[in-house]
Amino acid sequence: MNYRRWLGFLHVILGIFFLVVTTFSHADEITIELRFQPNLENGKLVYEICASCHLPDGWGDKDGTYPQLAGQHQNVLIKQILEIRSGERDNPLMYPFVQERTLGNYQDLADVVAYIATLPMTPEHNKGPWPNFTKEYEKGKKIYKKNCVSCHGKTGEGNNKQYYPRLQGQHYAYVLRQARMVQKGLRKVDPAMLAVVKNLSREDLELVINYVSYLPVPDKDLAPFKDQ
Amino acid sequence: MTYKISRRAFLQASGTAILAAGTSAGVLAEEQKRTAPVIAGNTLVPAPLPKAKGPRVVVVGGGWSGLTVAKYLKKFDKDLDVVLIDRNALFVSCPMSNLWLADQINMDFLTHSFLDAARNNGYIFFNATVVDLDRESRKLYTEQGYIDYEYLVLAPGIDYDYQRIGVEDIEAEYYIRNNYPGGFVNASEYLTLKNKLENFRGGTFLLTVPAGNYRCTAAPYERACMAAAIFKRNGVKGKVLLLDHNAEIKIKKDGFQNAFEQLYPDIIQYEPSVDIQSINLDSREVESEFDSYTFDDASIYAPVRASRLIEHMGLVDPQSLQKEAHIDPFMNHLVGDEHVYVTGDARSQPFSKSGHTANSEGKFIAEVIAAHRKGERLEWRSPQTMCFSGVKIDPLEAMNIITYYKYDKERKTFGFDRVHLVDVWSVKSGQAGLAWAEGMFKDMFYT
Repeated sequence: MNYRRWLGFLHVILGIFFLVVTTFSHADEITIELRFQPNLENGKLVYEICASCHLPDGWGDKDGTYPQLAGQHQNVLIKQILEIRSGERDNPLMYPFVQERTLGNYQDLADVVAYIATLPMTPEHNKGPWPNFTKEYEKGKKIYKKNCVSCHGKTGEGNNKQYYPRLQGQHYAYVLRQARMVQKGLRKVDPAMLAVVKNLSREDLELVINYVSYLPVPDKDLAPFKDQ
Repeated sequence: MTYKISRRAFLQASGTAILAAGTSAGVLAEEQKRTAPVIAGNTLVPAPLPKAKGPRVVVVGGGWSGLTVAKYLKKFDKDLDVVLIDRNALFVSCPMSNLWLADQINMDFLTHSFLDAARNNGYIFFNATVVDLDRESRKLYTEQGYIDYEYLVLAPGIDYDYQRIGVEDIEAEYYIRNNYPGGFVNASEYLTLKNKLENFRGGTFLLTVPAGNYRCTAAPYERACMAAAIFKRNGVKGKVLLLDHNAEIKIKKDGFQNAFEQLYPDIIQYEPSVDIQSINLDSREVESEFDSYTFDDASIYAPVRASRLIEHMGLVDPQSLQKEAHIDPFMNHLVGDEHVYVTGDARSQPFSKSGHTANSEGKFIAEVIAAHRKGERLEWRSPQTMCFSGVKIDPLEAMNIITYYKYDKERKTFGFDRVHLVDVWSVKSGQAGLAWAEGMFKDMFYT
């Protein structure tokens, strides 16, 4: 998928679900789609509030405290922001900063994710302890092929339309922490994802996430190495 | 479920009342003479609580820590029977109270019901005062009877330690507590402070920053800004004198420095390195080693110590200047007793004594206890601290900081780790602070 190219003319689609419950009957769920033309300049301004943790380059924290945002699918970002905003996804650190009164309205939301999509990814994200050619890496690869490929893709590229996160380039410690939270029931996810994670042992989860951390990121998405 | 009272029992009860009302004073005195010496009488019966439906975990103190622990114990292990005890019948938040002083939020924002918290999160709230602990038999005594526990979590918070600012006798201590309350422990103090600031007619209003790890590191500096903003708004020619025990502003230093100089240059007088030696209440004078300062009104924030309950139960860490509990620095259980935990501001680790810290620590300790019951052990996880400080009002503008902690093996203590500081104030940060508190209240009381 050529992710960058369709950026300029992208319309961000928001699915907003209203569950209207009246005294008399359960109304059906209504989906409203709103379309916005992103404004990158405003997106950059909005991003300031994100930058204090995810950093100006959107690379997050290598120790996994804050995930890399650069390179992530826009729909995935929007979904996470809205779920944290509503409290559906429990994240007390981020909650204050993604409210309408702080991050802004849907236009601002569209703008900021479009801006994030312009950021190149870190060339040196945090990886797991077992590199290629180790026994553990191979085990993780097997688990990945069996359980994860159908949604997250062969190379962990994810799927914007389906809201499946891109895994390539994400910090190992971050993915591991999130997966453990899912395992403990502390982070709500899609039932298919929950089923997979619940069925994996603690060790297998570590192995598969180790493998994920070594999935190569296409060169065109990476920032050049920085001189130290 | 309904409770019935039989007609006979009712008649008996009302009969006793009539009889009591009709007895002579002499009989009453006789009655009292018989019962008065049994001081512990009430505590030696089981507390009036529903029977435990599973292993009982008792949480003492319904502050930010206790509320979080109680909620998350049920989340991590729904079989646990959780009882939260607080001597207060109503929750009034200390975090955000500075903003309420300056009318940026109202009292409803700070006030929440323990009953809501218990109902929404599936635990029992018991409005009682804890008086003692017997760890041998795992019994906690309240003034309304004892409770058998499987696990006990003590989150009793702090008290002031006036001796550390040279206030030795109880008369003087009482006078200061009553007339110049610190405003960091209970709701009456906040109300008194608000009335004082609102009615101040000019002169010097003294605020102090204590030594040690006091509650809410940024709050005394934020409060100076709020007090100055109130005087400015009310058109009062008042000065805020902020005497700081520390050599410099302890947190968000540049931000507060800028706020003092740029926003309140003629109002806030900041004096660092003032080690208060004594307070003369007649002449309203504070003596430090080298100087003396006079004031017209004050809120004196004395150094803090762990709640006296910790000392009364014999759980104080002898190394702790602030009389905090002797606990494992990673898992928070008493050294040698994995059935009793101490969390929140009574802990002995040097974490920031703040609401967010207590909330994030509380989740972890709930998980630790749930794991312990299953015979599992968790790896230590650092608490988070997130703290907003208002410096400007109408509209509210604030700064913020997020930090974690890291254990230093050589120094055998914790230090800040992964600090993200925004020390430039903005309306957005002000709004984020309000949203933060709403999110926290939602977490502890409503969802």
